[in-house]
Amino acid sequence: MEGMAVKHQITRSAELQSLAGFRELIDQACDQEPAFDDQTRYDLKLAVDEACSNIILHGYAAMDPGSIIVSIEIGQDAARVTITDFGHPFEPVEIEPPTREAGPEAILDDLGLFFIHESADLIDYQSSPAGNCLYLVKYLPKADHENPFQ
Amino acid sequence: MELISGQSNGVLVVTIQGSVDALTAGQVQGYFDDLLEKGERQIILDLSQVDFMSSAGLRVIMTVSKNLRQDGGELRLAAAQPPVEKMLKISGFTTILKSFASLDAALGSFQG
Amino acid sequence: MFRYFRLKKDVQPAQTLPGTLSGELLARDAISPIAIRQINTLPDNTKRRIYRGLLPPAVLVRFQIDPLTWESKNGISAMELYAEPGSGVAKVAIQDPQDREDELLTLEIQDNAFDGIDLNLIVLGDPQAVRFAIDRDERGKPTMFGTLGRNFKEEQKAMEAGLAPGQVRKGLGGSQVVLDQLESFLAALGQRAYFLEPLTYVSAWVFEKRGFAYVRGHKLMENIQHEFQPGGALFQALDGSTAFRSPAHWSTVRGRAWAIHDGILEAIDARWDKLRMVKQIGRHAGVETFPDAVY
Repeated sequence: MEGMAVKHQITRSAELQSLAGFRELIDQACDQEPAFDDQTRYDLKLAVDEACSNIILHGYAAMDPGSIIVSIEIGQDAARVTITDFGHPFEPVEIEPPTREAGPEAILDDLGLFFIHESADLIDYQSSPAGNCLYLVKYLPKADHENPFQ
Repeated sequence: MELISGQSNGVLVVTIQGSVDALTAGQVQGYFDDLLEKGERQIILDLSQVDFMSSAGLRVIMTVSKNLRQDGGELRLAAAQPPVEKMLKISGFTTILKSFASLDAALGSFQG
Repeated sequence: MFRYFRLKKDVQPAQTLPGTLSGELLARDAISPIAIRQINTLPDNTKRRIYRGLLPPAVLVRFQIDPLTWESKNGISAMELYAEPGSGVAKVAIQDPQDREDELLTLEIQDNAFDGIDLNLIVLGDPQAVRFAIDRDERGKPTMFGTLGRNFKEEQKAMEAGLAPGQVRKGLGGSQVVLDQLESFLAALGQRAYFLEPLTYVSAWVFEKRGFAYVRGHKLMENIQHEFQPGGALFQALDGSTAFRSPAHWSTVRGRAWAIHDGILEAIDARWDKLRMVKQIGRHAGVETFPDAVY
């Protein structure tokens, strides 16, 4: 149906070997949307890769790893990515952003999260006994941003 | 991901082909650790064939650069694709690491 | 503002509606989850009305049980409900009329530690099928589906008859219908997911097809798939040393399950232990650790 979002999804084990598959999902979704330029596509892949790396290395630490579900829905104005896992939940802590003047060493430990924030336009995180969900929104170039969640 | 190296006018050029992520970053680290042990000090990292790099890759680059500098050497970057170059800039890496648009320019920088 | 995500140190359970269930409590909101324990405090008839929603009426009719009265056509009570006040467990079971110790159909759910719900047991047996005594060892002691002890002779007969480990009789099929009904029931309780621990490799494979993902054990399932390929460690361990380790077992779900039940995972320094799966209500995770599998 014209105008409806197209959804792609994969579920893989929470291992580093799965990262390439998650990036490939983003590539496959972006291949079907001509409005995605190379930078937008890369930003999405980077945000997903960094988030999944975090889940693999910390969320499922000291556990026999479970699943990570990555889905991407491409609408007329934005791509919406949902990353679901069932490991230890994270909690968001608000801190002052690292500045470039502080130098890369200052953000080295948080570099992954830094890039998630730089790559995604909107981020939300919800944790419940049904799983942990990270929501990322990336606007398409020159999209109308008035209603980002529609 | 593959790593290939070759000498050019006394400078070692290491070319990475593929993606550097949390899985493969360790392989890059190990490769450079061997090079340092063999006494290499002037190294150019050719990023022209890196189609993806995450923070794990940048952390390895930072570590390699530090280790080289401690032994009187230097790491310089060359020909990063635009998205990777953008990562290097926005994270401030280009303030402490020289990054050149082409391999020739990077090689030339070691001759001057 | 930069959002730094750190691991939560103390995981708080979901907030179920507090207190005893009442019309007033339920009127507060339509979303907060309700626990089994809360339902079990209700009067018996109220519990029966609610738990009647656990099983699809069509399945009961197949067992020739009235879906409302739970009686057989002889007017005898044929389905039991176990939902004791103070307990977080609810179980419905259809007894075998030939052997009252045996259950043809069982569904048991239980509150878990995080205000979620676990599916403890689902058994759908064909009442017409031959029974194999894998549930008792040769001294007559319970084996708990072959997890506490084993009856090798009966297991081999069951395997040769086409059963999977843990089955005493051939299954009725229809687990999709039962699980769909269970999801509707849990959604009515305000639950967004439910959990289980697969007893066998076959169970895990079936639940993958039903849309479950893994809380724990996805990597193990991937390893099993990898090592059962020709040349892998599990493939090589199918040496015919027991009836359950036939070399042909690498290529089928059931064959692998029998080999795993026989302890073959020792070849990859692993155990069939602590796997945990999750089904998000209304969602299919699309996990397929054994692509194009032959049962």
